[in-house]
Amino acid sequence: MFLLEHDAKSLLALHGAPAPEGALLENAQIAGAQLPPAPWVVKAQIAAGGRGKAGLIRTAKTRDDLQSHLGAILGATHKGMAVRACRIESQVTNVEETYLSFTLDPVSASVRVMLAARGGVEIEALAATPGALKSALAAPEPAALNAAVDELTRGLAPHIARALNDAGHQLARVFLTAELSLLEINPLFVRPDGTWLAGDAKIVTDDDAMFRQPKLRALLDSRASAYPEAHRKERFGCDYVVVDPEGEIGLLTTGAGLSMMLIDELRALGLKPYNFLDVRTGGLRGDPARLVNVLNWIAEGPRVRVLFVNIFAGITDLGEFSRLLLEAFAQVPKLKVPIVARLVGTNLEAAREFLAARNVPVSTDLEEAIAHVRRHLA
Amino acid sequence: MIDPRIDRTTGVIVQGITGRAGRMHTRLMREYGTHIVAGVSPKAGGDVDGIPVFANCKEAVAATKAAASVLLVGAEQLLSAIEDAVHAGIRLIVTPTEGMPVHDALRARRLTQEAGATWIGASTPGMAVAGEAKLGFLPEAALIPGPLGIMSKSGTLSYESGFRLAQRGVGTSIWIGVGGDTVKGTRFAELVPFYAADVKSEALLIIGEIGGSEEEEFAAALTAHRFAKPVFALIAGRSSPEGVTMGHAGALVHGSRGGYAAKKAALEQARATVFGSLDDMTNGIVAWHAARATR
Repeated sequence: MFLLEHDAKSLLALHGAPAPEGALLENAQIAGAQLPPAPWVVKAQIAAGGRGKAGLIRTAKTRDDLQSHLGAILGATHKGMAVRACRIESQVTNVEETYLSFTLDPVSASVRVMLAARGGVEIEALAATPGALKSALAAPEPAALNAAVDELTRGLAPHIARALNDAGHQLARVFLTAELSLLEINPLFVRPDGTWLAGDAKIVTDDDAMFRQPKLRALLDSRASAYPEAHRKERFGCDYVVVDPEGEIGLLTTGAGLSMMLIDELRALGLKPYNFLDVRTGGLRGDPARLVNVLNWIAEGPRVRVLFVNIFAGITDLGEFSRLLLEAFAQVPKLKVPIVARLVGTNLEAAREFLAARNVPVSTDLEEAIAHVRRHLA
Repeated sequence: MIDPRIDRTTGVIVQGITGRAGRMHTRLMREYGTHIVAGVSPKAGGDVDGIPVFANCKEAVAATKAAASVLLVGAEQLLSAIEDAVHAGIRLIVTPTEGMPVHDALRARRLTQEAGATWIGASTPGMAVAGEAKLGFLPEAALIPGPLGIMSKSGTLSYESGFRLAQRGVGTSIWIGVGGDTVKGTRFAELVPFYAADVKSEALLIIGEIGGSEEEEFAAALTAHRFAKPVFALIAGRSSPEGVTMGHAGALVHGSRGGYAAKKAALEQARATVFGSLDDMTNGIVAWHAARATR
């Protein structure tokens, strides 16, 4: 998962990597808040790029500035995401901005190390400047990554070389031990004496490695409300994302690719799906609990007017699934919407009979089912 | 060249055969025609439905000459199970398991490449040669023999596609679920030489999704290999939000990277036909199939 900057810097701090002093504010109440020394940079905490250009990163000299910037930034939306928190950071001066990153290279099964003596601009812009961005592939081992960093920093101005070298060695270890997919420091601040600080931090963690990353888990558990999707996946065993808070169609679907495609197709038809879901029917094991949770989440959609069930199952017994579905539905009385079911797979006839007796039409054809959905929305 | 071809005579091991999923899928694969010759489990000795169970792949291969393995083990054990298969000389390793840690996948990819083994997965429903054998879960209703090669990141979307095509009489040659993970054993582009050479595959359907760069790499490989067969593509996730993982670890878009528009443009540049919906895809391929029959 993509960590918000504040959490990325907290993770770096756990590994001893330096960043400017900062505090997280989830509301505009600065009275009584533990703030780092002024002047400040106010930085919106959202998982999307282009914050600076969107006016979501601002400097503040006084508490009045700070108050007014917080008021403007908190609650603003950018790329469909609402800003729910800001990191208030001490402004750093007399530094040069450089670039350092570690990413996975899936083709060569290596780690790509990239660095640049001038950073602070988007990586795409750096990459377009000839000679600006230096890059090397290395085996996912500390010695190989250190050697790559040494090679890439050769020939840079001494204070920059020293800073990127130190940062490179330290962050290579963080990348490997925390099992990250992306670690990008841009800008990486370099002081004249060759010491460094992480100006920004982009980190993508591996949810699948969380079982052996206790530090990361503790950090994220304390911030569960900032990462509702990851929290849900871990706790409930399924992927759920609200794709349109104004959506009218609640989706109960299995399989990531098919669920994404269904959202694409509904939108292309001018319809408004509320959520993405990969419920993983294979993991239900005869218990409606997971479906009850999912239906409760869908019931939170204020405009949801129909529940569209689309299950194409290779293995799942659709008869059993249908029973679990209606059992779960009965436990979520606040979801008062009609159900449209499109089912393909094992034991379809039993499912059809069972659902038909309870006034739920079952289609095997997706387009026919979508037509049913449209009728309920008309 | 990667060669994932199997047939009814290919000896197959199931690692994790004594588990719930292991037993069930062993039965289903056999019913389809897969020649399962051995199981591997810490509970070695004895058998599962008459299939002998060994402690490791080396013993299983020594006793049965198995050449392929399906790994139905948990994500935490997957890397060591792949190591076991590679060290026993298995040439085709299929891992349906979801949730493999990505740094483990990096190591497994290095290991299988060094050994010259083909690794399909993880997070895949597996692969099948229609009418011969399947390694994994691909549903029989979608698997009729025919001239279309299929490669897919998504299991369910490929089921839906294969099923619609099968209902309209279009069968498949060899169907490979490469899986939805970021780091995987076999990527779309790496299968281009195989499909170019495979006489049974007269056209190719790739089912991709947003995130990563596999579709772009695949497009480049089509051009580099002067791939002359028709290529059809369906890409899921064109309306997904940035910065949010949609189920598959690989389906994460940052900025313009990994987005739908870039993938579509790259594929079209390589003369692939990119369809906007399942219905258009089905109709387009059915039309190709019909025109081919009248030639």
